[in-house]
Amino acid sequence: MFGILIQQTFNALTIGAIYALIALGYTMVYGVLRMINFAHGEMFMLGAYGAFLVLTLLIGGIGGTGAFVLAIVFALAVIGVGLVGVAIERLAYKPLRNSNRLAPMLSSLGVSLSLVTGVQIMAGPQPIGFPNFFPDTRLQILGGTVTLVQIGILVAAFVLMAALYLLVNRSRAGIIVRAVSESRSTAQLLGINVNLAISLVFFFGPLLGAAGGILYASYYGIMSPTMGAVVGLKAFTAAILGGIGSIPGAMLGSFILAFVEVAGTAILPIISGGVLGTEYRDVLAFVILILVLLVRPAGILGEPVSEESMVYKREF
Amino acid sequence: MKLVAALTLSTAMLAGPVFAKDITIGLSGPTTGAQAYFGTTWHNGFKLYIDKLNAAGGVNGVTVKIDQEDDQADPRQGTLVAQKYCDNDDVVLGVVNFNSGVAQSTLPIYEDCSLPTMTFGSNPSLTQQGYKFMVRPVANDFAGALLPAEYALQKLHAKSALIVNDKQVFGQGISEIFAKNFTAGGGKVLDTLSVAPTDVDFSAILAQIKTKNPDVIYLGAVMPQLALFAKQMHEQGVKATLMVPDGGYTPDFISQAGAANVEGATVAVQAPPLDATPAIADFATQYKAKYGQDAGPYSIYGYAQAQILEAVLKSTKGLTREDMNDALHNVKADTAIGHLEFDDKGELKVAPSYLYKVENGKFVLIATK
Repeated sequence: MFGILIQQTFNALTIGAIYALIALGYTMVYGVLRMINFAHGEMFMLGAYGAFLVLTLLIGGIGGTGAFVLAIVFALAVIGVGLVGVAIERLAYKPLRNSNRLAPMLSSLGVSLSLVTGVQIMAGPQPIGFPNFFPDTRLQILGGTVTLVQIGILVAAFVLMAALYLLVNRSRAGIIVRAVSESRSTAQLLGINVNLAISLVFFFGPLLGAAGGILYASYYGIMSPTMGAVVGLKAFTAAILGGIGSIPGAMLGSFILAFVEVAGTAILPIISGGVLGTEYRDVLAFVILILVLLVRPAGILGEPVSEESMVYKREF
Repeated sequence: MKLVAALTLSTAMLAGPVFAKDITIGLSGPTTGAQAYFGTTWHNGFKLYIDKLNAAGGVNGVTVKIDQEDDQADPRQGTLVAQKYCDNDDVVLGVVNFNSGVAQSTLPIYEDCSLPTMTFGSNPSLTQQGYKFMVRPVANDFAGALLPAEYALQKLHAKSALIVNDKQVFGQGISEIFAKNFTAGGGKVLDTLSVAPTDVDFSAILAQIKTKNPDVIYLGAVMPQLALFAKQMHEQGVKATLMVPDGGYTPDFISQAGAANVEGATVAVQAPPLDATPAIADFATQYKAKYGQDAGPYSIYGYAQAQILEAVLKSTKGLTREDMNDALHNVKADTAIGHLEFDDKGELKVAPSYLYKVENGKFVLIATK
């Protein structure tokens, strides 16, 4: 029994780490622009496809690759997707910045569809096998089995999240991003370059999402043009649960959601006497989300709604 | 100059239509998406024989046109395609739907417009709803799940099985039949777990399965889930033998899961190996010459369905949908996979099934029925 607990904890941590990397992008964009970037799930998908492309171009095939090469592939792919994120913001969202709130969201839905269809046309709609970035080794820890991939995902995710935390809270770039997210107009009056701050957010958000995509594809050994849809929705849910706009909230929400999912799979059939099967896992996750939002509309760590962040009916 | 033009035009009009009759066959299946490999190679087999037939002048002067559509393995898309075929009077027969879930939605539409179909969905219930305009030129899931259950009991000496399915028409149906056969043969089904068809992570379920320690796991699902499950099963150290239905009979199953992870997994499929008989070997050679790749698992069935069509055209009284339907139900066709006839429900009278095992990254035939 103890072994199972450990096993399921590893499983939940792995899924949670991937959710967290994506949820951060949703939450950062919302914090600065008060918009939901529906194209963010596709950044996750582009990360996997980008890494695959770089790998094939660099090595001319998949085979014996050193850790150093893989690190370079990883870096190139995530930076590439980060730049794509900046470009998308400039082309599709910036012209709509001063229109009502719905316009950029609809625009992001359009971007999302275009990206999925574009990849479907270029790489084909069927799932493609993805090379494992880690050796296929299994370790036994306290009666649970954990693969190197899972450990790699956890380490990479926490390193990236720590880096983001330092960037936001300890650097000049972070100061301007935080200033803009508090009040765009005031920041502009104080001579802060708002466009730069927004571009920074649209660089780092997709970068983390792409990292999540590479880790995910490496873990499951497969990637498809639509992979961002389901995972993106889950990560979005996690961001809402933790409090949209809050960076620690996104991380917390992701791990909570992952644990609820895994616990749902494990416990639901037992407590319902086999009536509710494991497929009700997502139902359970969303029921919990609704309950949390009923008690705390802004999410677990969400800031109380201020004058600045209020959404008024006339804006729609 | 104008005169000449007018003259040629009038002669052209006088010549009128050429009196060659041709018919159109609706050919619908998944040619994009995760199951594209099955749909495309199945259709290619059908087209291979039809092209030969047309090159030889057709059957009694009737040439066959093909209207190929992608149903995306999705009932919503499948029904749109079905309606399109119904509305096109030239379409007199449909060769339709790889997926039981899609066939379930399209068959009533075909029935309403009296369009006879050869359906490829294998769920047994499809032929039990009294459709007059369908036949199934492939073994149904009763056969598809009988052989693996027998093999598990007799050859693997399995005592216990655990069932996982994706809650879809095909996956749930075939896994229930497996469970019934396995229990009837004296085995014990420990538990039935379900997953959502979009799931990619089975680690939580596998952790549960590991504690139950079954001898075999039967997974009623389709690609890419089959490969993902096999991979994670190995990673979590679950030792049971994985048994999957025909969706796993594709090179993707081995490549996406990793050869080491699917070693020993069994795949039950209605398709014979490509060197089973001289007729099949000959077909495989032709297929490779035409399409530049090896035939897929159901290419031979596409080819055989075109041979059934040929037999139908030879015996039919006329080219209306009703005439074609009568001929289709009474057909006696000699095909590359043997002599085929349908019973009054539209099922094959004799339907072969085969069981393969993954060994060193290849499918090896281990049992037939």
